Amino acid sequence: MYIFTCEHKWDAMLTCIYDAWASKKGHANIKLMLEPVEQYSLFDTYTHVDADEKKAESVMRSVKNKISFQLYRQLAYASMAYEKDILDLMYRVLIVGFSCGPDVLNMVMYREILQFNQIYKRLCKEVNHFQEFTRFHEVQKGVFVAHIEPKSQLVVALGPIFADRMPSEHFMIVDDVHREALIHPRNEMYYLKTLSDEEYEQLLHTEEINDSYTDLWKLFFHTIAIKERANAKCQDNLFPLWTRKHAVEFME
Amino acid sequence: MFAKGSFMIEYDKKENLLNINQQNHTIATGIQPEKSLAKKLEILSDAAKYDVACTSSGVDRAGKKGYLGNSCAAGVCHSFAADGRCISLLKILMTNHCIYDCKYCKNRKSNDVERATFSPQEICTLTIEFYKRNYIEGLFLSSGILKNPDYTMEKIVETLRLLRGEYRFNGYIHVKAIPGASKELLYSAGLLADRISVNMELPTQDSLKKLAPNKQMTNIIRPMNQISGTIAMHRLSADKAARMERAGINDRLIHSIWGDARQEIGAQGGSGQPGRSGHLMGEIESFLFPADKKDLHMGRSFAPAGQSTQMIIGATDETDLELIRTTQSLYRSFDLKRVFYSGYIPVNEDAMLPAIGTPVPLLREHRLYQADWLLRYYGFFADELLSEEHPFFDDAIDPKCNWALNHLEEFPVEINTASCEKLLRVPGIGPTGAKKILNARRYRSVDFEMLKKMRITLKRAQYFITCNGKMLYHTPIEHRFIRNRLIDVEDVSTAQIGEKTVQFQQMNLFTDYHVS
Repeated sequence: MYIFTCEHKWDAMLTCIYDAWASKKGHANIKLMLEPVEQYSLFDTYTHVDADEKKAESVMRSVKNKISFQLYRQLAYASMAYEKDILDLMYRVLIVGFSCGPDVLNMVMYREILQFNQIYKRLCKEVNHFQEFTRFHEVQKGVFVAHIEPKSQLVVALGPIFADRMPSEHFMIVDDVHREALIHPRNEMYYLKTLSDEEYEQLLHTEEINDSYTDLWKLFFHTIAIKERANAKCQDNLFPLWTRKHAVEFME
Repeated sequence: MFAKGSFMIEYDKKENLLNINQQNHTIATGIQPEKSLAKKLEILSDAAKYDVACTSSGVDRAGKKGYLGNSCAAGVCHSFAADGRCISLLKILMTNHCIYDCKYCKNRKSNDVERATFSPQEICTLTIEFYKRNYIEGLFLSSGILKNPDYTMEKIVETLRLLRGEYRFNGYIHVKAIPGASKELLYSAGLLADRISVNMELPTQDSLKKLAPNKQMTNIIRPMNQISGTIAMHRLSADKAARMERAGINDRLIHSIWGDARQEIGAQGGSGQPGRSGHLMGEIESFLFPADKKDLHMGRSFAPAGQSTQMIIGATDETDLELIRTTQSLYRSFDLKRVFYSGYIPVNEDAMLPAIGTPVPLLREHRLYQADWLLRYYGFFADELLSEEHPFFDDAIDPKCNWALNHLEEFPVEINTASCEKLLRVPGIGPTGAKKILNARRYRSVDFEMLKKMRITLKRAQYFITCNGKMLYHTPIEHRFIRNRLIDVEDVSTAQIGEKTVQFQQMNLFTDYHVS
């Protein structure tokens, strides 16, 4: 088995797909993995692939032209998922896609496509959770910062959602797990930034800044519940514990 | 119209008087005269919590530069309270002062509760600041009746105008129409909000008379009719169908409550047997003039997310049949987007009401919502689900299973050939499942293995379906047998709601299998 590994970045993933395809070892003999590889197997050949802009672009172009733009978008979206086998699944989806055309994701008789769809669906749900539960703090007059701890690298998916919601505000969403920040200046396009250690250190304490509306929100959150109908199980189902880390209403 | 100025002056005078009294009181006791924002929020959100609807759904609207907010048709829940209900909107009353004395209400005139009133600016700031922090999706504004319905509605409209205008808020607003308020104010409110609702509270004139002596059915039905007429008018002028869009599955159904009556709004009842309120519905009416011309020029359409209503259940002795018949005729004649039910929570001591401490009828509420879904998504009619002989839903089994058990002659249904309508009537198959089956069987015949992969609930469906002529197991299509099996499934899912514990019993050949 020939195993190609790369970083969990969109460019690197596409380059890895390109190299694996071009190696001509036969699809059945190839496996793609995301780094870090936790346990190397004994009798397989490992090849590390670095991101290469040209190769990545060529994959993008082929997917868009030969399959569909829709699939390209779905692949890009799915590449954010935290599941380790997502890269290999993307490769398998492309194999079917290049031979069967744009309808590939409906072909659920292939096991890989079923798995890909499941991951895609789970990711959409995760993005939805953070659309709902991201909480901003006003750190200065008119500047809002939020911290999130998602499983997947999804902060980029929150960009269009929040930019449409508050186009004329300065805001920033910090992904504490992947050390990435989405920055949206007022009335401008948002952009993504990888945070250095110093930058992250500075941003770490934004939640401690006293924001009077936080207290009002907590008050509202507690009074709006009807005691006679208390249902903790239902609350836990709809608002999973792992998504509550930065939800102010549950913070002391 | 009405003397706007004089109300204001009177009100201010009284407010001042109140303040002076409070100040005197303060000097004696040391309590703050003007309540803080936090205190007001506590009182007025506590007073609003019994309102059911907290949905931010029904309209898609993109954000725009210079404004705050957008709207998403699927709705966004921003938090879930300790009772498991979603918090999507800032749900508050403008004031909990009230001139009415409805027996079931916590804020009735005769109750000695702490009262407060938000100023329009306070409501706007709270909405805007909460919205910017992603706590809420918009505002839900209701109110007690301050002085008179027109005065209250005028204040509400003033708040909305301020929020949409000066504060440039583009998010979701759900506003309650105050029964008895003038047409012009209701028109303005609908133009500024996304959804407007009139609370029905009680489904019949008799119970309304008994529990809410100051309210009249005509004052509730008439604005509903006018609102639905105005929505239709605005939809037609925006090149849409007069009736609201419904769940996609309804397009595949020949008979549904939306079916025949789709063209006529405000028509009598609609179904063969209209609800009790049927005779109250007059001709189609719509609003003509808003309270302020500028409201029309904002370019917003009238209540784009439709209108809704809510009914209290368990406070009076209506049957479930009456409730769902009323619901159905509301959907058919006024094209309501939703009807909400609220299990009555005893807050007042009154001989006519359930005593304080009576458990909330949660299971009954759950069954009514299940029936409501059957009306809106499954092509059922109210009179199919219940009859005069059995006017209440079965506690042990859900309405759809109950219908299936009473119509065993329609089963088994062959998955590979049945129509969409037939599929939807099988317990365990919903709109999503039916669509999946219809898609899948275009390519090959569907078997039980595929149904499992499609996540069809076979634990319910297996007794009612065949795939290529075969059932999943060799089970008899027999009322008692299927009912017992289904109750086992149902017990687990409703144990929480009904606050009962699951009881297991020894299987018995004589009662369960009729071996004799």
